[in-house]
Amino acid sequence: MTVQKRRRAAGAVVRYAAVGLALAVWATPVVWVLMTSLKTRTDIFTIPPKLWFVPTLEHYRASLNTADIPRAIANSALVATVTTLLTLAVSVPAGYAYARVRLPLRDGLLFYTLFTQMAPPVGFLVPFFLLLSRAGMLDTVAGIVVVYLTVTVPFAVWLMTTYFLDVPRELEEAALVDGCTRAGAMTRVVLPQVYGGMAATAVLSFVAAWNEFVYASVLTGARVRLAPVAIFGFLTTEETLWGPFAATGVMIMGPVVLVAFALQRYIVRGLTLGAFR
Amino acid sequence: MNGRPSPTALADEVAERARPGGIPFARLAGGRWRLNGEERFGLLLVGPSLLLLLLVSAMPLGLLLGTSLFRVELTKPWATGFVGLGNYLQMLEDARFWHSLGVTVLYTGTTVVLQTVLGLAFALALAEEMRGRNLLRTVVLLPMILTPVVVGLVWRTLLLTPRYGLLDYIAQLVGVGSHSWLGDPALALGAVIVMHTWQWTPFAFLVFSASLAALPVEPFEAAKLEPVTAWQRLRYITLPLLRPAIVTVVVVRTIVALRAFDAIFAATGGGPGTATEILNLYAYRVAFNNLNLGYGAALASTLLLATAAMTVGFGRVRAVVEEPR
Repeated sequence: MTVQKRRRAAGAVVRYAAVGLALAVWATPVVWVLMTSLKTRTDIFTIPPKLWFVPTLEHYRASLNTADIPRAIANSALVATVTTLLTLAVSVPAGYAYARVRLPLRDGLLFYTLFTQMAPPVGFLVPFFLLLSRAGMLDTVAGIVVVYLTVTVPFAVWLMTTYFLDVPRELEEAALVDGCTRAGAMTRVVLPQVYGGMAATAVLSFVAAWNEFVYASVLTGARVRLAPVAIFGFLTTEETLWGPFAATGVMIMGPVVLVAFALQRYIVRGLTLGAFR
Repeated sequence: MNGRPSPTALADEVAERARPGGIPFARLAGGRWRLNGEERFGLLLVGPSLLLLLLVSAMPLGLLLGTSLFRVELTKPWATGFVGLGNYLQMLEDARFWHSLGVTVLYTGTTVVLQTVLGLAFALALAEEMRGRNLLRTVVLLPMILTPVVVGLVWRTLLLTPRYGLLDYIAQLVGVGSHSWLGDPALALGAVIVMHTWQWTPFAFLVFSASLAALPVEPFEAAKLEPVTAWQRLRYITLPLLRPAIVTVVVVRTIVALRAFDAIFAATGGGPGTATEILNLYAYRVAFNNLNLGYGAALASTLLLATAAMTVGFGRVRAVVEEPR
């Protein structure tokens, strides 16, 4: 074997080792949660850990039979859906405008939008608490949705702006020449080009609202308990119910993961927002 | 992202694209400038989002700064009153505040360096098309979309519990031994740093992978004619070309690391004691565990100010780094 060939072989070994290692590191914890959710209580606490076992759905049943979890999941679904719809309603027009229309103060407005996205939520927690409690909106769906819009709208506007920038300008110019009105060109010619982007924006808004915890922990309570808060109930200091906890975790995260994988092509841009346009 | 990395900020690009005369709508409308109509149309579209942000972010911001000037303790309603900068002065003498600031710097600095280095290493190792790479690109999306609180709880229980946790078991296998990873003040910060790195290295990996795929081929072609080693190629061609991407990752991840809360809250709650209490967690504890809203607001204001300064400052750094190209 020549030196070069040996080097190339060594390179291939390194590369496959890297892929294997990375796959193991990032997939194992997730697979482990899934496995734990399907093990009996005895199997969960068997050492060394069991890799082969008879699966059971008892923890899913236990979780769904609690008073809290089904209601919390329903609440989270409602809150995340309403948040997503409202987010799209305001961010799609705004994204179009930032990408296409001459606006006074546009750069300043964009920067302000970016800053609200970067600001740590804990910073806004005290004022939101005071405002909502004064308005009598603590622990209501409307209250938490309004707060979640501050999380979703900024990045949705940025994301939609990038998608509108990708649409060739000639398309709408042609439509205008053909006698389309400005709004008509926007809705009938440009909008269909960004359906994929809208789907990605919708998914990411939904995920953000669905996963949110800081605001939910303070601004909602017994009435509108949300899933990320409710799951803490399995891990109190007196007892630690790993099985039902893992099953609930899978139910909370599973659907989101599946949708995200299905739309993977579109959402990577959103997940790496800030790094790319 | 279409594999087209553009290290320039979005705002720059928007400005650049629109500058040469903007859209020729005005011209189409009869050759006369109808800027007012144009602006009115734009504002109509942007209006709802701005109104919303104004209402739900500018107003709270004002209220936050206002509250930070008062003594507001829900457990002592009679003591409420204006204290001016009292809360901020209290902060200067608050050892726990300084401690949490130190933890924040350590946590942020370490996780950002780890993510960048690991993400870059994996991206370089997997730059060429190979089996398993696409699967990996899907798998690494997981930590970024999983519910952070659940991730923190999973690490606390299924992975790091002494004796029964998977990682603790692996630690025993490789001879590190069983430890109370999150209960020992000496280990807890390290453990949450590892957790955060697990969550966010995929971001760096994806950004670097896309940047590598979009590098110009000419410098590499030219290097083929010279007797350069792989190391020299990396050091003198690849890394300099990647510099804007590296800066971007560091900047974005630093700012976002300052927002870290959920996973660390779920894993340790800031403990044991205050070993993993980043500034976020301290402000949260003061405001909502001790119900001392005034002082909590002062802490939160400081945090926001630091974030704003970072955002602006890093924008400058980024502009400088990208200028000479």
